Amino acid sequence: MRLRAARLIFAAGVAIWPAGSIAENWSIDDERLRVTSTGAVPVAPSFEAHERAEPAPPLAEPAPQAEPLVAQAPQDTPLQPLPQVDESAIRYFAERGDTRRLEAEIARLRALYPNWTPPADPLAVPENVDERLEEMWRLYAEGRLGEVRQAIARRQSEQADWQPPADLLDRLQLSEARERLFNASDLDQYQMVVRLGSENPSLLTCSEVDVLWRVAEAFAMTDRQPRARDAYRYILTSCDDVQERLATMQNASTVLPDDLVEELLTLERTGEDGQGEFASIRDARARDLLARAGEEPTLQVAGEALRRVERLAQDGDDASDPRLLGWYHLRRENGEEAERWFHLALEREPTGEAAEGLSLALIERDQFTEAEDTIYPYRAENDDRQAVYLAAAANLLGTEPRVALSSQVLARIVAEAVAVRDVTVARQLGWYARAYGQHETAGQWFATALGFDPDDEPSAYGLALTRLQLGDDTGVAELRRLWTGRSERIFAVGTPNAIDATEPAQVAAPAQSQPQQQTRQEESQPVASGPRASEQPARTAAPAPQRQTGCRTTVDPRSLSPATALQRGWCLMELNRPLEAAQAFDVALASNAEQARRDAAYGKSLAYLRAGLVDDAAVAAASAPMTPERGAELQSSILAERALGAFEKRRYTEALIALDQRAQIAAERNDLLVLRGYAYLNLGRIGDAERVFRAVAATGNREGLRGIAAVQESRGAN
Amino acid sequence: MKHFVCLFLVLSAALAGQSMAQNDRSLVTGTEWDRYSGRFVTAEGRVLDDANAGISHSEGQGYGLLLAEMADSQADFDRIWAFTRDELLLRDDGLAAWKWEADASPHVTDINNATDGDILIAYALARAGERWGDAQYTDAAADLAGSIAEHAVLRYQGRVLLMPAVDGFGVADRADGPVINPSYWVFEAFPVLERLAPDGPWQELARTGRDLIAHARFSDRRLPAEWLSVAGIPRPAQGFKAEFGYNALRIPLYMMRGGMTEDDVAMELGAAIRDADGNLVLVDLGSGEPTETLTDAGYRILAALGGCVANQTPLAPDLRDFEPTVYYPSTLHLLSLAFVREAAPECLQ
Repeated sequence: MRLRAARLIFAAGVAIWPAGSIAENWSIDDERLRVTSTGAVPVAPSFEAHERAEPAPPLAEPAPQAEPLVAQAPQDTPLQPLPQVDESAIRYFAERGDTRRLEAEIARLRALYPNWTPPADPLAVPENVDERLEEMWRLYAEGRLGEVRQAIARRQSEQADWQPPADLLDRLQLSEARERLFNASDLDQYQMVVRLGSENPSLLTCSEVDVLWRVAEAFAMTDRQPRARDAYRYILTSCDDVQERLATMQNASTVLPDDLVEELLTLERTGEDGQGEFASIRDARARDLLARAGEEPTLQVAGEALRRVERLAQDGDDASDPRLLGWYHLRRENGEEAERWFHLALEREPTGEAAEGLSLALIERDQFTEAEDTIYPYRAENDDRQAVYLAAAANLLGTEPRVALSSQVLARIVAEAVAVRDVTVARQLGWYARAYGQHETAGQWFATALGFDPDDEPSAYGLALTRLQLGDDTGVAELRRLWTGRSERIFAVGTPNAIDATEPAQVAAPAQSQPQQQTRQEESQPVASGPRASEQPARTAAPAPQRQTGCRTTVDPRSLSPATALQRGWCLMELNRPLEAAQAFDVALASNAEQARRDAAYGKSLAYLRAGLVDDAAVAAASAPMTPERGAELQSSILAERALGAFEKRRYTEALIALDQRAQIAAERNDLLVLRGYAYLNLGRIGDAERVFRAVAATGNREGLRGIAAVQESRGAN
Repeated sequence: MKHFVCLFLVLSAALAGQSMAQNDRSLVTGTEWDRYSGRFVTAEGRVLDDANAGISHSEGQGYGLLLAEMADSQADFDRIWAFTRDELLLRDDGLAAWKWEADASPHVTDINNATDGDILIAYALARAGERWGDAQYTDAAADLAGSIAEHAVLRYQGRVLLMPAVDGFGVADRADGPVINPSYWVFEAFPVLERLAPDGPWQELARTGRDLIAHARFSDRRLPAEWLSVAGIPRPAQGFKAEFGYNALRIPLYMMRGGMTEDDVAMELGAAIRDADGNLVLVDLGSGEPTETLTDAGYRILAALGGCVANQTPLAPDLRDFEPTVYYPSTLHLLSLAFVREAAPECLQ
């Protein structure tokens, strides 16, 4: 937060006679903003007018004369003939080429003596006849302030009637205060800085802009931003040095909040070239804003800032501005624009960052081939880029209809999947091989994926299907055993209840994407062939930006076409928002296409099932004809839910009726067998209960053993 | 309690006498001051601690101001003051940053204060205001005294403590806090500071200081520790050597300069710090053994003061002449000479 850099920007090449408003100064009276002057010089009109626009600040009485020496100066009667003005300091500063101090001294003398005209040639100012005084001025001009004090005191002790010129004492005191103020500022003693500034109003002038900066900083650092703003505003309103104005604005933008910075930016002046003097600051601010917006999708960016950076990106030739724009658009699900800017960035400078952004944009736009190809050379640069590569590869493999990949691309995907042990890509390789009938290969990939993550149910499912395909009954049985109670669909493989075995071609997202995008309902959600699978794009969520989901915003489904509503229904199911999905499917039921109506009915009853509304699900299932498979699947699900619901209400007979009905169309799963056992137990049919529990226990299921224990306990109790 | 009230009266009376004495003569001669300032004071008014890598500190600036005032050299006082104010008196709370190094940027390398430095500066400014009739000195002294009372004094368990610094020594800062340094009690300053900042608990402070010095003495030599934990029963603070060391060796001088020439404790200390050869000893307070024997005239005169005050033993001739050696003993030498000129002329018989 230190402002060193800006402080170094001094007024190089300042005109020796500063024009205009040099006499007034800014007052930092803590409570009120006052315009004061060291003498009787009127306040510059522009400053005054500006301050009057403020709600509160009363325009000021003259500043209290802290230094009696100043009060003794003849400025109280400025129109009368003046005593000789001591111009010694002017000559010394001119001799030393110290334009800054020279200017400050002239400003100060003008404030003290409004009728005084600075000498045309400062070097021609006659030397003091008084050699000891001359020596004091020399020490002063060299900044040896302590020695000036020493010389004054020594002479006074030797010449009791000698008085140093008020001018010398005044300058000396100000220089000391300036020195002290800078020292306090360097040590972050902000209260002291403010105190010294307010005790020395003569320091708060355009010729001491760096003092004003320090005071402004001190205000800002002590939670008095509006006071800091006032100081910067004073400079921007009253001072003319171009570099100092720019540095002032730079300082202000590092310590003030946005609204105050914007306020100060309105004080910008336009140069002869028609350019605003703060263009560079506005550019930097627009870039900052865009950079932040590239990380926060919800951050609003004013159109002006966006246009500014777009112009910079187009007119310039570096890659960073296009990259900023790329991220900005990517985070706002604007893949097309993002792709355009990242392309430009990559053209100008081939960097991993641009490739990463471009690849993400391409994923966003379902252009997986290009996405994979773009990020491939940069995949090893960091974890993010690797994740993007894997996402692109997984999506590419999962694209439906399947895309035949070149052996080169396939080889590098394989190499990467193995190298980083990525379960998703390995599994997708399995599905990919399966799609081309290479079941042996598919089986190896599913097994490999399970080697990377033994708990990856989709890989186990793929493996089970593959083994079934290859007639490996033992292998299937092994998997069914392993996944009992964990995956209904694996347990069903090879049984009449088997779920249609089309792989959802859905790819889990890389680790850093948002959790809800990774969570798929593959276990509980029966996956159908037909429209649903094709309407669900096989996409991996891209790692960094939010994936376009298509149904996150709230929409009244009645405003949608049946086809869109159908799509939305499935999308909402994927987000596990079944009641909204049911409404969407309801709209889709109006479709003219029979297939779509069937899908809608199916979806609607699934949605109700998931929402626990079993009767509604049953009604929905009847609302359109559907394939016998789907009908049976729905019916069995509905009956299972009914059985559960009845059991929870302790209506055990009804539960058993539902279970019996279900058993006629589907094999009874272990969990339902257990339910049946407890229903018997609760009805006192202990023998039936024991028979059922023993059957369950024979499959190795613990619930069965628990049930047997419950039976024995019940017998003991009786 | 009665004892302490008397003590403060003694201090005040001593000071009144002192200001009369100042009118007659300088307590530090022109020659002495020229030698001292020629060696230890830079053109810009910085007092050099030449045994300490040439750094400067608020204590040194305070001593420099005090000696310049005693030497009646306003010219030098002014440059030392200008440096002190513009380079050290920078803290938001109005106290002085304690440490200044020429090669560092910013020059202040520790913004913490050292309260004895603050007291010495305020005290010297107050004397300067009186000597030269300049209200600017007095005003600055009053501001500083107010800051000391406000920020460097702690009321703790019924005692009023002079904290060595604003940061680092309090209850929250250290397990054994508060920790104090008895040699930071510049007794002669308290009556003066009381006139400048009447709300400060200066009399209580003086009492606490004398009380702690009297009762927190260690080893068979019965000497005070430099750093003292007063969290419970006073004992040497953790992390410091349990020693009567370079800081503490000033204590007898400060007590005598503070008017306690009849005080038993001051006299006992005066005797305890002196070895058979008239040198000053630093003592390990665990063993009671000397850790160092200091032979510089500036230290030897400290060892001689007690005998002189108690038994009118005149100072040896070599202690009456001032030759600068290094900053610290040279400073103490001049303060000792000023003391005998003012309050114990019999030492110079």
